[in-house]
Amino acid sequence: MSVSALRWHTVPRSDLIWRELDGDLVVRDARSGSTHLLEPLAGHVLRALSEAHAGMSIPDLVARLQDEAGADETSAWFSAIEAILSEFRRLGLAEPERP
Amino acid sequence: MIVADLPEKELARRLAGAGLRVRTGPVVTEIRSRMPKVAQGIALHYADHPLEEPGGFADFHVRLAPPRNIRRWLQPQVTFQFDGAPPFLPLPADQAFPILEWGLNWCVSAHCHQYLVLHAAVVERSGRALILPAPPGSGKSTLCAGLVSRGWRLLSDELALIDPLTAHIMPLPRPISLKNASIEVIRRFSPDAVLGPTVRDTLKGSVAHVKAPVDSVRRAAEPARPRWIVMPRYQAGAPANLERLPKGRAFMQLVDSAFNYNLHGRKGFETLAQVIDAADCYEFAYGDLEEAVKLYDRLATSA
Repeated sequence: MSVSALRWHTVPRSDLIWRELDGDLVVRDARSGSTHLLEPLAGHVLRALSEAHAGMSIPDLVARLQDEAGADETSAWFSAIEAILSEFRRLGLAEPERP
Repeated sequence: MIVADLPEKELARRLAGAGLRVRTGPVVTEIRSRMPKVAQGIALHYADHPLEEPGGFADFHVRLAPPRNIRRWLQPQVTFQFDGAPPFLPLPADQAFPILEWGLNWCVSAHCHQYLVLHAAVVERSGRALILPAPPGSGKSTLCAGLVSRGWRLLSDELALIDPLTAHIMPLPRPISLKNASIEVIRRFSPDAVLGPTVRDTLKGSVAHVKAPVDSVRRAAEPARPRWIVMPRYQAGAPANLERLPKGRAFMQLVDSAFNYNLHGRKGFETLAQVIDAADCYEFAYGDLEEAVKLYDRLATSA
């Protein structure tokens, strides 16, 4: 299965608390006790995942963010979101669903 | 009654006997010691602090005494004891007052979990607190001492006690600890400052303490609301330069400087968010204390 086809979900919403500060997002994960600083795109990705009822793929996330931002050119977002999800996985903030 | 009301002999008698109960902000500490340097340090630096009655409640019970080992005959040493046990290794006896100060910092940072405790200096003007979180060597204490000598109220040189219920900062006015070149900087900058003796060859180099101003001690029950968060950095020869720090980065620096952020869980996050919301955040480089203090005076006037 290609990376872009994987569906991602975040930790339970109840375990996350966040605050937007000057465009960035600070988020605390109650499961790990860790607090992270996310730049704006990563913050959008986390919020999109946490608000989704089901897992989201990278194309889902790009479409969602495109709607929010009203952007036309999104080709660079695929690789950026892939990198963000990889980092989220390392931090324990999100993981891909098992096929 | 304050410490200065006690005659020298009575101060020594209490320290050697049932203990001297000194109030520093919200904390009462019972101090016991027969060591003259401890009595001298307390008489000088805690002269204006309130005394609690013997036999009353104390948050901490500490004792400074020579360790019971053979080294005491070769090179006199001192241990800091907390509830009868030494949390640190002994140090040379001439460091008795510095180890009392370091020990009291440890008592608060390791036990006062009713507060969110940050490693930061805090000064106040017109009810508004300037928080200076910074690692050792950043010039935090020098800047703090400089501001205090020019009329800012000292809340703490070392520990910011944030009340999670209000996100306001409780004062903990105690001596300001200066190290190495900062000692001479403050002697020159503020000839009226009351400095204790310089103790050399400590783990932090040469150390001297500046007495907290009497007004700061008297107003120790008066909290302040956060208004500015500044990450200072001393840089020889650098002009004073205050630059906006994005609040997300400032938040993370407060997390890094907190002793018990994780212990407070969700409330700790919310409390820091309240502090950040209420404050302008900056990074600050400086090489000249006079220029730095003037800049903060302008900041306080313009805000």
